[in-house]
Amino acid sequence: MKVGDLSVYIDMSLLKPFSKLPALNAATILLVEREERFQQNLADALVGDTTVTVNVRLAKSLPLPMDNEESRPRIDLVVFIINLTSELSLKSAEASLKYLDPGYFLGKVCFLATNARNTSVPTERLDAMRKLAASLHCPLLFAEDQTPDGVNSATERLLTVLKVAAGLVPTATALYLSSLTRCTIPPDIDQPSFE
Amino acid sequence: MDDFGRRLLQRLVRRTPAQALKATLGKWERLTVAQRQSVDFTQPKVAVMEQLVAIFEENGWTVKHITELEMINYMENANRGMWHAFQMTDPKDDANAVEMMQFKEQFKSHLSELVRHVSVKIKKHTDEALWIRIAWGDSYSPPNHLKPTYVVHHLQTPYVFVTSLNSKQKPFLVQALILSTGYQGIKDANLSGQKLTAIRDLLMKQYQQIFPSKYNSPLTEKNETVSNPHIEREQSEHASKRLQMACEAFGDGIVPQLQTAVYKLETKFRGDANTNRTMTKREGPFRCLVKFASTNLLESFRECASSGIASTPVSPLLSSITLKGRNYFVVTENGLPSSQT
Amino acid sequence: MLNMEQHRGSAVRTPINGVPVQKRSKSYRLSYGSCLGAASRFGFTPTLTARRFSTTRRVSKLHNVKEKINADQLALLVKMEWKLSYVTPLYQFRHTKLKSYSRQLSVFITAEKQQGLAVDVDRVQNSYRVSFSLVHGMAGTDDAETVLIQVHSKHMFAKKDEPQKLIWSGWLTCMNGNSDYLGSLPKDFICLPLFGSSGPEDLTSLVQSWFKQNFDCCIGPLEISHTSLQWLAALWTNCHNEDNIQHLKLIWSLPVAPPLQITYTVDPQDAWDLWGSVRKGSGAEKVREEEEPGKIIDIDEVMSFMQGLNSHFYKHFRLDLSSGSLKEVATSLGSAKYNGKIKISNSKYMITTLTLLTEGALLKMPI
Repeated sequence: MKVGDLSVYIDMSLLKPFSKLPALNAATILLVEREERFQQNLADALVGDTTVTVNVRLAKSLPLPMDNEESRPRIDLVVFIINLTSELSLKSAEASLKYLDPGYFLGKVCFLATNARNTSVPTERLDAMRKLAASLHCPLLFAEDQTPDGVNSATERLLTVLKVAAGLVPTATALYLSSLTRCTIPPDIDQPSFE
Repeated sequence: MDDFGRRLLQRLVRRTPAQALKATLGKWERLTVAQRQSVDFTQPKVAVMEQLVAIFEENGWTVKHITELEMINYMENANRGMWHAFQMTDPKDDANAVEMMQFKEQFKSHLSELVRHVSVKIKKHTDEALWIRIAWGDSYSPPNHLKPTYVVHHLQTPYVFVTSLNSKQKPFLVQALILSTGYQGIKDANLSGQKLTAIRDLLMKQYQQIFPSKYNSPLTEKNETVSNPHIEREQSEHASKRLQMACEAFGDGIVPQLQTAVYKLETKFRGDANTNRTMTKREGPFRCLVKFASTNLLESFRECASSGIASTPVSPLLSSITLKGRNYFVVTENGLPSSQT
Repeated sequence: MLNMEQHRGSAVRTPINGVPVQKRSKSYRLSYGSCLGAASRFGFTPTLTARRFSTTRRVSKLHNVKEKINADQLALLVKMEWKLSYVTPLYQFRHTKLKSYSRQLSVFITAEKQQGLAVDVDRVQNSYRVSFSLVHGMAGTDDAETVLIQVHSKHMFAKKDEPQKLIWSGWLTCMNGNSDYLGSLPKDFICLPLFGSSGPEDLTSLVQSWFKQNFDCCIGPLEISHTSLQWLAALWTNCHNEDNIQHLKLIWSLPVAPPLQITYTVDPQDAWDLWGSVRKGSGAEKVREEEEPGKIIDIDEVMSFMQGLNSHFYKHFRLDLSSGSLKEVATSLGSAKYNGKIKISNSKYMITTLTLLTEGALLKMPI
């Protein structure tokens, strides 16, 4: 394989935010989750929204298969669902990130962490999660995946972000919203401090 | 009834739940309907015990009869203790022609020639399996009925399942089996478990197997859970492929309920060659023992593979459990399938 | 899955944003444990002051605790498996009043046990004997002295002259606690954050509620985190050239239905070789040659060690252990379980282990 071919291949596998035209009064959200556990529940709740047509695409990881390229609508928001009890879950999301066009990081990516309150989550992993989100200027949401209430509130938050990202909210843009909601890390995350 | 008989009966009563005990007595042909109905299983075990003792004494029944009862009980509740599988090898021409009566006679006579004091009882179970109860003694002591060995053999198959056998008794059993069946050797099948039915089904391949095929199997459709036209799985093909491979390796539907699998690895260190050059270049094996445990091991493995926790295609080490019907493996550098390197 | 539910339950019981304890000054309300605030609903908490596990550890080889600590006390410490809890600083606890505490706690336990029972008064008074004692030599420079508590009792139907038996024991310790943190405590507080107990659980909860009532502290279960377990695996393996560790056993649990448990037991010499190969800037031989006491171990080395073990496993079984969680680590030097049970079988390595656990306890405190 020639170098030229390789670059084409990589280019094709990148998911781009503006390569397709948007559909009328519709928004498409891509849920990426290694475990494929929470995404189905979340998807069922998301499509229940009555104000706009919500399309949900589910994936285990990126890149997305080429075969679906044609039928796939423009994706307005990419959500990485990360189960903090699993190291693999975070590693897999990190690996998927490189298949996103940089344009997505202007407000069209968000992280949704589950099980953050579980005692088996090492603080180091939570730190790594926060650093990742902060370095990419993305919002980091925490969700409870075991209860209907938790699913509903996660759905509501995602819908709010999604509608803005899809350009359905006249007064806001994705970039504007993300500058308000993006994850920040405290300056002393790495060193112990006693004031 | 003597003290020993009492102890034996007491142990049987104590170990068996009331309902199972009732079922066991129902299967025992010696009891009359009236006798059977007279036992009240709702009362405490001590009282049940006394009632049974009375019945036994009334009929003049002894240890022999209690062991009969114990055997029926064991056959109905085979999932206790640890069962080990053996496989007989080198069949003679008449291996498939051995009949039950012939086997019974020969086995009994061979074993009593080998061991001075031994008590053997053989019974045919409803599923055609032969159940053998052996109480071992030696030159000085009578057969110990408190620690019997149970052997299950399906005639016309090379498989034998054994529980509670110690290493001293093993050569005698092996000898008697070889002499009374049409085989010339016997080897450890490296398969053990608490459920006799599970290890039998695994060895005899009596579970729903999925074979590799070019065409999509019905499994693929099963996996597609299209709940809503607005929800689309991008990688549904990958998912169904994973499920297909998981089922090929570990079976479909209800799988034999194994509890453990053990691997003794004596292979070279196989970490990441880039990050750990010292170790990968090191001479000699990296010795470790890996034990997998679950209430249903094959089901756990199947989910590992279908959910992607285990990469597909499934590691030959794991698929060997069903393929070879084993759950104990010693893996050395030579024995390792080449795809691993 | 069931396990996770339980753990979540325990996490929810833990106050998240700090318990309002008026007596305490602001200065240390901002310190330890506020990392729990990280679990708040949003990824940004402006006032978050994070306190993390140390990323390096000094392994001093000269812990001759045998010479310092009373032999009977040491024998007890290494004999039992201890269930761990964390304890917030004790208000007005005095090491000089241990005798009076012994009396008070005996009375408390007896009274609680007696509730609703009509028993012979003379007998009851003797039925629980509590003794508090100091464990000399088990503390770092800034730490408060370790306290050992033992409860003796007789069987209900024991004869008069039969001696009382030890039925419960526990200890409170602080081993090399962060000196900045200890220094920030007001004068009336004593910090003994790590509580170990061994014996019937009803007694454990009685002792704990007595502490809560008398010293205005919070006590809660302490898990040994994934990271701590990985640290212990490395720290223990690091001792193999001095004391044979016999084996390195790691128990993992994978989240599938039904749950899959994997016990990974590595030959001690091979584990040691792997450990040597991940030590920075040194092959296995070099580490062995160096005899200087007090070596620094870095978290990166611990992680590469675990990574090495996991990738060897993956190459054979194509199963990724990192999708699950580490539940237990054991060698002949001791064993540690995620549910907060620890056994330290060799006194030589007690200090290192307790230092790690003290750090974990300080992190867990909901201040």
